Amino acid sequence: MINPVIYREFIGILRTRKALAMLIVMSIAFSLIVLLRWPTDGHVDLSGMRSQQVFRIFSYTLLAGVLFVIPAFPAVSFIQEKNNGTLALLLNSPLTSSSIMAGKLIGSFLFALLLLLTSLPAAAACYAMGGIDLHSQLGLLYLVLLICIVQYTTLALLISTFVQSSDAAVRVTYAAVFAFGILATGPYYLLQGQAGSLPLLAWWLRAGSPLTVIMDLVGHGDVGSLALLTEDSTLAEYLLLSAVSSIAFVTLTASRLSHRLFDRALSKGTVTDDRQVLARGFRRLFFLVDPQRRKAGIPFYANPVMVKEFRTRKFGRIHWLLRLVAGCAVLSLLLTFAATTGVVDWGVKTIGGFMVLLQIVLVVLITPSLASGLISAERESGGWELLRMTPMSPFKMLRGKLLSVIWTVGLILLATVPGYVVMIYIQPAMWLQVYMVMICLVLAAVYTVCVSAAVGSLFKRTATATTTCYIVLIVLFLGPLLIWMGRDAPFSHDAVEAALSINPTGAALSIIEAPGFEIYELAPGAWWISGIISLTALVCLGCQVWRISRPI
Amino acid sequence: MTNSLVVETKALTKRYGEFTALDSLSISVDAGQILGFIGPNGAGKTTTIRILVGLLRPTEGSATIAGVDCVRDARKLKRLVGYMPDIFGSYDNMRVTEYLDFFGAAYAIGRRQRVKRIAEVLETTGATYMKDLYVESLSHGMKQRIGIARTLLHDPQVLILDEPANGLDPQARIDMRGLLLQLAEMGKTLIVTSHILPELSRICDTVAIITHGKLRAFGTQAEIMRQITQRRTFEVQLVESEQLEGAESLIADSLGAEAESNVSGSTTEGLVRFDTDLSDRELAGILANLLDKGVLVSQFREIPTDLEDAFLSVTANDGDASSTGPPAEPASAQESA
Repeated sequence: MINPVIYREFIGILRTRKALAMLIVMSIAFSLIVLLRWPTDGHVDLSGMRSQQVFRIFSYTLLAGVLFVIPAFPAVSFIQEKNNGTLALLLNSPLTSSSIMAGKLIGSFLFALLLLLTSLPAAAACYAMGGIDLHSQLGLLYLVLLICIVQYTTLALLISTFVQSSDAAVRVTYAAVFAFGILATGPYYLLQGQAGSLPLLAWWLRAGSPLTVIMDLVGHGDVGSLALLTEDSTLAEYLLLSAVSSIAFVTLTASRLSHRLFDRALSKGTVTDDRQVLARGFRRLFFLVDPQRRKAGIPFYANPVMVKEFRTRKFGRIHWLLRLVAGCAVLSLLLTFAATTGVVDWGVKTIGGFMVLLQIVLVVLITPSLASGLISAERESGGWELLRMTPMSPFKMLRGKLLSVIWTVGLILLATVPGYVVMIYIQPAMWLQVYMVMICLVLAAVYTVCVSAAVGSLFKRTATATTTCYIVLIVLFLGPLLIWMGRDAPFSHDAVEAALSINPTGAALSIIEAPGFEIYELAPGAWWISGIISLTALVCLGCQVWRISRPI
Repeated sequence: MTNSLVVETKALTKRYGEFTALDSLSISVDAGQILGFIGPNGAGKTTTIRILVGLLRPTEGSATIAGVDCVRDARKLKRLVGYMPDIFGSYDNMRVTEYLDFFGAAYAIGRRQRVKRIAEVLETTGATYMKDLYVESLSHGMKQRIGIARTLLHDPQVLILDEPANGLDPQARIDMRGLLLQLAEMGKTLIVTSHILPELSRICDTVAIITHGKLRAFGTQAEIMRQITQRRTFEVQLVESEQLEGAESLIADSLGAEAESNVSGSTTEGLVRFDTDLSDRELAGILANLLDKGVLVSQFREIPTDLEDAFLSVTANDGDASSTGPPAEPASAQESA
């Protein structure tokens, strides 16, 4: 008999509007890639270069889809069951934890397969153009993607057993996917060429990322650092690592599927003010701002909604913000220090480019988690109705909510200023560039806040809002970079410049003269476009808030 | 207790396209009174409440609270009304005092005044011991208390509570009842919806029964009983259950032709039950007749009709026996929340 969880999971996913939208969007995206690059001039490209160019873009798009679309479903799988009360029913049924786990995994995998199937016509078109090997390229690409799906689905399922809410599941999953899939490749570029255990660890870390294998597959392996393609492929290592990690994730998830999932100690609500003198003194030493001290009331000059937003966020309390800011400051200083001491022979511009990218990544990762649920979380919890009953105007509420995000993102950006200051100290002539880069970064922050808040406000469920925000932002920020990777061929200089103009990242990289971006003139055009997009998003957000606030 | 009119609706109607969620509802509540608002699921209770608190706009008719129009003066209204929806509206990582402090600030209560007020409402609702607890860690009953404390923060004239006793254990329900009576004694006007009718019957001055968006009965409990129950039910407890058949036929003879379907007996209990509209004198005759014929009667009593009977009577007449019917409010009504 077929495992009932598979049926329930697969059909459950297919019934969601999100799944339908994803299938349609993926089909259109893959069709467009081939359609745009299909030869129309009647000449045969015997070298197969054109099909290779299309294949590269196709592969990266497919990988981005697998990394950022597919984990959204398993990420909320267990937590939704838990919150709806159905997980308790499942655990009380004769089904074993491993069969529940298998059902969830296979159900999600089937949907992922369906998404992959939508790319097959485009893959076939690529192959029909010639120049692509069926086994060593196309076949291998799909093999890597299938393994990647299993790896990240199991990871998302594991995360789903740890978190307490659906949107937290989405946030943590995206952060993990980003860390394992993309950031894991970073340390290798910093440490390559050196001897010792640390570079070896960095190499294995890089080998665990599907991005590395795909880069090898499309001919982008190691080209950034060595200027020559290396013959070594990380495929075998990736297969090994993904198999080991998937088995570990599955085992851990299955072991967590028991009554212990429901054991959650409720806080006693102890406050520092009521503790003994010794304990109070001890906490005074370790906390600049003690989170467990009894708070004074909200002052008259502060927007109550803003204060509420900070207080209700797990990491929104001041002591967490201070830690985040300190972490960012240390990281930016370390990067600049690396450039000055010659640990990395990349030069100030490359390090600058790296810093810009890291900051954008930080902003793109953090902002949707803060901004996407501003309205949807209130609607989901019933808090919106209570807020509407207060004499506050909808725009005061919106202002408070936006301010809570702007302050956090602003603090993170400010924390990286020391790194830039050191950069100017090394190369004083760069002050204007750094100044312009800072404008780009501020614009990027405003852009992500506005777009995330506007997109998130359209949904009633926080998890859906968060997922959609991440996908929209990834498309907006990663899409132009994918097009940039195909600069000159298959995409023309103008096409790349236009694509890079839709967000301020390209402008920042071109201003800092990061390798590959120095040829583009993006500022101030990109600033204007980003400003217009942000303003439009803000207006849409305002309209939506007004719509859901008024009596109907 | 004053008798000035505080809440008034006149021909209040709400339509969603073809569907009528509320049909010409006219009710009024005096100051310091408790109105019990009863109806099956989807009857239009929440729609009415949302119009009263300014969250919904009626299609026709008017609603006023303390003379303030619920549609046109929504801002003024918010200071007059404390509304507790059936969903708590919890925020994570917030202690009870922080939660109340936020809503106090949202109502623009000054910082010092707010601290004082929070202590007061916590004391009124018997929730002072919860002040440092995290809101998400509270039990349902505790959350209901905090919900009421929140509605009291800005000292509103009218409290509108949607299902305040829902999901409470017996002790918490008794406490809640005491709290509502205490609030009424403080001069607050309360509108309370509940499915737990015995609870409502103990505290309400006035009752409104609504089904399919229409007001079926409105008035004091006694008035409603008079409106709804024209016939009374009696029980005759026999000492010996062997005399049941004889007693049944004697009662049926006394009641006349209409008695056939109304007289029923239970051999195990030794009990005869019948409905009648006879006067007390005529009923005394029936009892005397039973005793004359040697039937040993230990009790001859009238079964009191309560709010539950009244409600069932109304919904049965309406062709909608209970809350098991399909939801009457469309998605758009939910959306407005």
